[in-house]
Amino acid sequence: MSEEIMNTPLDPEEVNTEINEAESEAEQTADAAVEAAADAAEETVEETEDTAEAAEEAAEEADDDIAASKEAFEAESKAIAEETAAEAAAANRKPEKKHRLSYERRKGLYGYGFIAIWALGTIYFFILPFIESLIYSFNKTEVNQGGMKMEWIGLKNYRNAFRKDQDYSKALVEMLQSTVLRTPLILIFAIFIAVILNQKFKGRTFARAVFFLPVIIATGPVIDIINGNMDQGGFSGGAEQFSTMFEANLVDQLLNFLGVYNISDTLTETLNTLITDIFDLVWNSGIQILLILSALQGIPLSSKEAAQIEGATAWEFFWKVTIPYISPMILASVVYTIVDSFVDPQNSVMSIVLNKASNWEHGYSAAMAWAYFAIVAVFLAIVVAFINKFVYYEVE
Amino acid sequence: MATKKEEKQFEKERKAAQKARYKKMKEEGLEKYLTPEQIAYNRRRKWIGAVWPFFRFVILFGLCFVILYPLIFMLSTAFRPNEQMNDPSVVWLPKSFTMQNIYDVWDVMSFDKTVVNTVILNIVASILQVITCSITGYGFARFKFKGKSILFAIVVLQIIVPPQITTIPLYLQYAYFKPEFLAKLLTGGETSLINSGWTMYLPALFANGLRAGLFIFIFRQFFRGLPKELEDAAYLDGCSPLYTFVKIMCPNARSSFLTVFLFSIVWYWNDYYVSSSFFTKNDTVALMLKNLNTNLAQTLFDGQQVSVRQIIVWLEAGCLLSITPILVMYVFLQRYFIEGIERSGLAN
Repeated sequence: MSEEIMNTPLDPEEVNTEINEAESEAEQTADAAVEAAADAAEETVEETEDTAEAAEEAAEEADDDIAASKEAFEAESKAIAEETAAEAAAANRKPEKKHRLSYERRKGLYGYGFIAIWALGTIYFFILPFIESLIYSFNKTEVNQGGMKMEWIGLKNYRNAFRKDQDYSKALVEMLQSTVLRTPLILIFAIFIAVILNQKFKGRTFARAVFFLPVIIATGPVIDIINGNMDQGGFSGGAEQFSTMFEANLVDQLLNFLGVYNISDTLTETLNTLITDIFDLVWNSGIQILLILSALQGIPLSSKEAAQIEGATAWEFFWKVTIPYISPMILASVVYTIVDSFVDPQNSVMSIVLNKASNWEHGYSAAMAWAYFAIVAVFLAIVVAFINKFVYYEVE
Repeated sequence: MATKKEEKQFEKERKAAQKARYKKMKEEGLEKYLTPEQIAYNRRRKWIGAVWPFFRFVILFGLCFVILYPLIFMLSTAFRPNEQMNDPSVVWLPKSFTMQNIYDVWDVMSFDKTVVNTVILNIVASILQVITCSITGYGFARFKFKGKSILFAIVVLQIIVPPQITTIPLYLQYAYFKPEFLAKLLTGGETSLINSGWTMYLPALFANGLRAGLFIFIFRQFFRGLPKELEDAAYLDGCSPLYTFVKIMCPNARSSFLTVFLFSIVWYWNDYYVSSSFFTKNDTVALMLKNLNTNLAQTLFDGQQVSVRQIIVWLEAGCLLSITPILVMYVFLQRYFIEGIERSGLAN
């Protein structure tokens, strides 16, 4: 900040109190203070008029005060007069600290101004509906003309969801299981692809464009329709087609050749599920690849050179330099993956919830959604707390 | 600063010099210059450098195939006469091409009207969203105020909470919008906002549109990454914070603005959950596509039964139509999607 602005009193209130203090002491000092304030007011870039007005008002008030208690002042006369005069004269020096504070406060107020739009919207479009749905979950609801008719039934909805509903808890467990399995897979895959895409080779732009294509298409209804059609049309997923092109049972044949027969069935099965999963994996890791690639780009070239001079292999470089550098982004990707699979309308829990909602059982569906949300929030908190231990932040 | 071309030249020269030196060293015997470990290291690097590109190509080719497979399938079926779906001799390349499917679907989706409607909805909502989210993000990035961490926790909560939880109460809020005069003003005489574009614009206007939490987060990260001196200089010249934001920060944040704008467009384009909750008549491309199956049965087939395999050609034609605009945008602005996110604050 500029010296000038820092040193001059900006706040009319500040000047006001300053003057009040001074004027309740002695007449001369009051004048001095008014003068000082007036001087200060002249100096200030902004709010000159305000300050001047404040000073005048304060001066008028002070006159009354002084008339009332003149005797008391005479007793204290000189010493204090000097003191206050010094104080008023040093108006430029003393308020420095105070005014920096007030400047910060003013900036803070601007901060509120900047987020005001969002705050208003959040109250109306987020917090109110959020709380409302929590209230639904404790009620038996009925939609009628003019809104929702509710009847308080306490925790019954929750109890029904977990005790009576056959699908719900099963779907919940399945959902958590698949998230636990899928998240590391997606993550490893995304890191692997991001590292490859970060290398220099011909056709990199094309490869990148293809890998981010899922980001654009996979969120919409298009991919569901295409997948559904491919199933109906007898076209299996791309991964399987690709593997048959390269004869995936090569492994099988190799094992047979080696004289191992019995485990080949299980092996083929595992391989098959893995291959089917690849399609799922590739189509769901677009954003993660994007995030990690952006982190990879932040690794300074000098670290790579240093590692090369020290004779680090690519493997060592990956574990000792790359991973720590991108660890914050890995955390972000984990959170994104979990949240994404959690809010996906296609997953089994969500489809139960939405199904109930479209059957007009809003209270019940809200209870289910809230229980689900609470479980996932706890899950997410645990995961984040755990991973955060291993995250390396460069600054701090 | 050397230009890019010159830099390339330097790099080339450097490599050539290195090679020549290595060759000379080899002639005189490597042991003289390097330790055995260094020799082994160099040999290994050379070996990996020779083999790795091949593996990389196989991996990338395979995965690109996996990603492009549905699109190839779409292209293959969308232009195929529907009888040929049951022809076992046709797998990828149909025997003849037809545009009939596209025309049919165009009519059923009333595509021209739908697209215009969707584009207007998307662009207005995205612009509003970008403006308000950037302002909010800036507020969170650069100002200190009481309760900031709690407020920011709400932003994170907004990212995590699925829209499905808040949809029904929101529906009621829109259907019986208070104050009524405002609803009447916005829709031109109706008390319910359902079916009007305002169910999209209003949240976007207040930084609460689709995935707004994520965008606020991105903007906050980005603005935090910009040097503070920029603003201090502006304040020194007597600019107010808002003016500083508009005149100094926004031009610097252009790339991240564009990235967020593009993502916002893509997500609005693809969204069918929120729009299907609030629109019953106001049609968007994603909604039309979601209901294409039913609409086809009603209008095109007149209640006739068409086999599931045959209907594929129309469905795929619909898919092709609805992703074409966004795909064209992607092809032209692909650079900004990728580079933008790299340069925007996410990299920190």
